[in-house]
Amino acid sequence: MNRQEFEQRKSAEWSNLDLRIKGLEGRGPAVEPEKIPGMFRRVCHDLALAQYRMYGSLICDRLNSLSIRGYRLIHRSKGGFGECSIQFVFNTFPNSLRREWKLFVVSSLVFWIPFFLMWWSASQEIAWVQAILGPEMMMQVEGMYGKDADTVEYLRGEHGANFQMFTHYIKNNVGIDFKLFAGGILYGIGTLFFLVFNGLYIGAVFGYVDYAGDPEKLLTFVAGHSSFELLGMIVVGMAGLKVGFALLAPGRLSRAQSLTQAGRYALPLLIGGALMTGLAAVVEGFWSAQAISGNVKYGVGIFFWVLHLVYFLFVGRGQRGA
Amino acid sequence: MGKLERRLDTLQTVELAEGMEIHLRIAGPFLRLYAYLLDLVVMIAAVILIWIVIGISSFALGGNVAVGLINLALFVLLWFYPVFFEVSRKGATPGKMVLGLRVVNEAGGTLTFGASMVRNFVRIVEMIFPFLPLFSFLNPRFQRLGDLAAGSLVVYTRDRQDPVYLGPPALDSIPVNVALTREERAAIISFRHRSGNWSEARRAELGNHLNSLTGQAGSKGVATIVGMAHWLEDHS
Repeated sequence: MNRQEFEQRKSAEWSNLDLRIKGLEGRGPAVEPEKIPGMFRRVCHDLALAQYRMYGSLICDRLNSLSIRGYRLIHRSKGGFGECSIQFVFNTFPNSLRREWKLFVVSSLVFWIPFFLMWWSASQEIAWVQAILGPEMMMQVEGMYGKDADTVEYLRGEHGANFQMFTHYIKNNVGIDFKLFAGGILYGIGTLFFLVFNGLYIGAVFGYVDYAGDPEKLLTFVAGHSSFELLGMIVVGMAGLKVGFALLAPGRLSRAQSLTQAGRYALPLLIGGALMTGLAAVVEGFWSAQAISGNVKYGVGIFFWVLHLVYFLFVGRGQRGA
Repeated sequence: MGKLERRLDTLQTVELAEGMEIHLRIAGPFLRLYAYLLDLVVMIAAVILIWIVIGISSFALGGNVAVGLINLALFVLLWFYPVFFEVSRKGATPGKMVLGLRVVNEAGGTLTFGASMVRNFVRIVEMIFPFLPLFSFLNPRFQRLGDLAAGSLVVYTRDRQDPVYLGPPALDSIPVNVALTREERAAIISFRHRSGNWSEARRAELGNHLNSLTGQAGSKGVATIVGMAHWLEDHS
């Protein structure tokens, strides 16, 4: 069979498939999709044949683009959003957390050590804390958690203030998460920097409140959302470190391959951590500043910490193949 | 996923499970820079629009709620503008759509939401260190760091318009008595298919390279090659 014969014999089916694919791509009249997989396979075969026999660019390009479009249609892996979400929350995310438990330890230490160092330093020498916070932030902290500050009133007097703060936390904190992850591409240095910086800064706020304000007010405010926010940040830190380590020590892969692989593994951590930070924003925006007694707030805070512990340790255990 | 050939070509061969190879045409850094600048313009326009719409509606909503809405809108726009478009059916941001580009995974399919997130979030680092995108010049598939992390490629969607100008019709069919490889046969056939675009002198110049096969030079040689191509097309 020569080129012309080949083209004459097959051309009708190619046009037919082209029409059907157009229909499914939303660029033509609707068609029933049952026959497409079979036709697609035949076109793939034709393409392989045409390429081998070198029938020239006219035929090969036509079949090439037809195959690509068919491939895109057939391999469009769209599980339902609901199913994917449940799978993610109860299987993929907690399992990838446990698989990367070493990174969790590293990421936690990189955050908690500067945090506690800074907090402790306030009781020895306040200058470090003052240097990190700067005068403006110190004023703000005193306004919120000072000895005679009215925390709830200071934060949320006006109409819509809760919503505004919620969106502020989303934009700021989730944005920081994303930067934390992106920083991993610099051999992990960006991630380490943001983790250490956050540890120092948050520790400094705690230290300064100890020094000049009323720790009770701060602790009751942060109790509710602390687990979501801090653990979320640490989890996203894991994602960034995963990428960083993949570049530092690619093992037997090339750096590019190693990066691609790490991207796949880091993804659930990034999404899960960002979702946790989003939940923290909800709690912090709408609940943490309510006028509720301190004991209830501590109780809820402890409940959430335990919940996270249980979730991290036990949910989705024994399910494989995420 | 097959192994990708390393050659000086923007065509990348990908082997699919269906038992065939497809060719993806990789887009170069300059075109992608244009696409990015176009997207930047679209995003700035979107920011201005958001400010105007929410600014006007703030009289009804109250200042705090309006600020909140602007926060949310900017957050979604800045982080998810490219993601939203890349996972859509078009697979491209407006800037890329205009230029006929598309973001695909390494097998030519549409990106998943997560891969697109990875791809675009890494851009924040590339904005802080603007020399980083230059590394895509070193990559045979022009992948920037985000592409490497997400396993994505930017390709042309439009078909290649390889011009076919049939040369002068073959006067007679000349059998080829030498055993030719597939590549050589294809080269002779494509000589015929493209020769219509060349001047007489150019045709002769190229035809002279086949001296050993045709045994003739100049326009006579060209006529022989065309005749051989005719014969090959009938007998392959």
